[in-house]
Amino acid sequence: MAEDRAPGLASSGPRSEATRAERAGRPGPPAIEASAASTAGTFQVPLWRAIAVFRFASMAYVVVMAAFNVTDYAHPLGAIPALAVLVGWSVAAAYLYARPGWLGWPLLGTDLAVTLLLLLASPWVVGRTAIDDGVPSLAVAWEASPVLAWAVSGGRRRGVIAALIVGAAEVTVRPDLAPASNTGLMLMLLAGVAVGHVARLAVESEQRLQRAVELEASTRERERLARGIHDSVLQVLALVQRRAAHLDGEAAELARLAGEQEAALRALVSGRTPRQRAGPEVDLREILDGFASPAVSIAAPATPVRLPASTAHEVGAAVGAALDNAARHGGGEARAWVLLEEEGGTVTVSVRDDGPGIPAGRLAEAARQGRLGVAQSIQGRIADLGGTVEIISAPGEGTEVELRLKVTA
Amino acid sequence: MTRVMVVDDHPMWRQGVARDLAEAGYDVVATTGEGGQAVRIAPAARPDVVVLDLQLPDISGVEVIRGLLAALPGVRVLMLSASGEEQRVLDAVKAGATGYLVKSASPEEFLEAVRRTAAGDAVFTPGLAGLVLGEYRRLAKDGGPAEDDAAPRLTDRETEVLRLVAKGLSYKQIAARLTLSHRTVQNHVQNTLGKLQLHNRVELTRYAIERGLDSPD
Repeated sequence: MAEDRAPGLASSGPRSEATRAERAGRPGPPAIEASAASTAGTFQVPLWRAIAVFRFASMAYVVVMAAFNVTDYAHPLGAIPALAVLVGWSVAAAYLYARPGWLGWPLLGTDLAVTLLLLLASPWVVGRTAIDDGVPSLAVAWEASPVLAWAVSGGRRRGVIAALIVGAAEVTVRPDLAPASNTGLMLMLLAGVAVGHVARLAVESEQRLQRAVELEASTRERERLARGIHDSVLQVLALVQRRAAHLDGEAAELARLAGEQEAALRALVSGRTPRQRAGPEVDLREILDGFASPAVSIAAPATPVRLPASTAHEVGAAVGAALDNAARHGGGEARAWVLLEEEGGTVTVSVRDDGPGIPAGRLAEAARQGRLGVAQSIQGRIADLGGTVEIISAPGEGTEVELRLKVTA
Repeated sequence: MTRVMVVDDHPMWRQGVARDLAEAGYDVVATTGEGGQAVRIAPAARPDVVVLDLQLPDISGVEVIRGLLAALPGVRVLMLSASGEEQRVLDAVKAGATGYLVKSASPEEFLEAVRRTAAGDAVFTPGLAGLVLGEYRRLAKDGGPAEDDAAPRLTDRETEVLRLVAKGLSYKQIAARLTLSHRTVQNHVQNTLGKLQLHNRVELTRYAIERGLDSPD
């Protein structure tokens, strides 16, 4: 038998693919659990950029204000190093915040410290009287930058903390709480909360997207593996079963085993992969498919038969009881057929076997004797669901159990 | 001698099936692993029966069946498929396949299915009967009153026969139970397929016409 394509279990391809899939499929806990500070997500990049813009704009504002008011300053020369720090740190911060590796407590702390330094230096440089006359401090407006940075890096709570610290410093600089500076403090607090909230949302959506991408990748990988197995292992198992089925003894046993494994493996790989399990309803076909075997045939529509989960599982249990009964009384040779139908709001499941059948009156007799048999187990379950059960049997004719259930469509 | 073409993408299967057929006295005129190739060589190979695996690497089973029927209008298609491919099997039947067998069937069952397909019978498994029943009910439900005339319906007798097939009874057992002739049972089963295929063709044509009329060019 010349193979133009080897049934490829031996090749290392699928195995290494599998490991890769495992690796890809496992949601990396560090990436997701880690705080926002260490994983500046791509969603946050625009936020950092916006902060940098704000930082430069407010820096320009401070410089312009200083140029206008420098004549009123108590120590005009002191403004030179202060403004140098302001400009220098604005540039450095814009650069460092853009690099995820730098984002952390040292940077955030320094940012806040530089702001506090400028704020607290203002009474000396600008002078108490000038400040009381309404001349702005050396960090006016610019002081909101670290608040925004803290909020983006760690959410609302961090934003509020930074706003309170900067606010406290502001109060010491400007003790007479004028309405204007009050409003400024409130706005800073509000900015901390709002920006922190938005940053948190960005992180969450990014994580959600990440999980969706991973799930999709693992699903695709699973499908790919299923195709591979379908083309190789399953074909060989089916072939073994087919070729050895008519042989005697051990070979026939092997054929049977190969057949069973083929069915089991097929169910595993092709198995109705996560169909949308919307809500508490399940597809009764999926439950009945679990009973399929070389001895049990399942016939069902191509479209889902949805039932409430508990109802579907009760029906499944009743079908299982009927099949068990068929296997017990029919010996090893018995075959069984399950037919699932849905029409006009009624679901019908028929279970037929070709076993020896039940002699007339036998079921009633068993019930009279108080034995809990198939009748009890099946009829009890279905009656609880408001359905009906019909059992038709005659010696030598097999047994047919028909379960009928009204469903609210 | 009945001429058979085997279309299956797995070489071991293809050759095993071809050998079984040859040993049983069939003339295996072609074997291929691709649907497109099957359609291309069909006019030259002129098979009476095509044994078709529904899962092919290049084109869908439905496309193969349409192509085969266009090239050779009288050809009979017996499809093989793994379990768990309900929708694909149903689509293939609607496209014109007249027989269906699961891949795990024994060689005896397989040869019997080929013989009956060649004789023009519809070869049903219980699973296929369940699918066809479900499809008629879906059409009846989804069709709505507006398309009442269009949706195909089963007669009571056909429904009865199909349900018995789905419950695993042989045609002989069904004939005995309903006191019909074997041939009548066969005809009923055949009709259920025929109506579905006709409906499918009508729908396709209607769709094509609608598209043709609707398109601006």
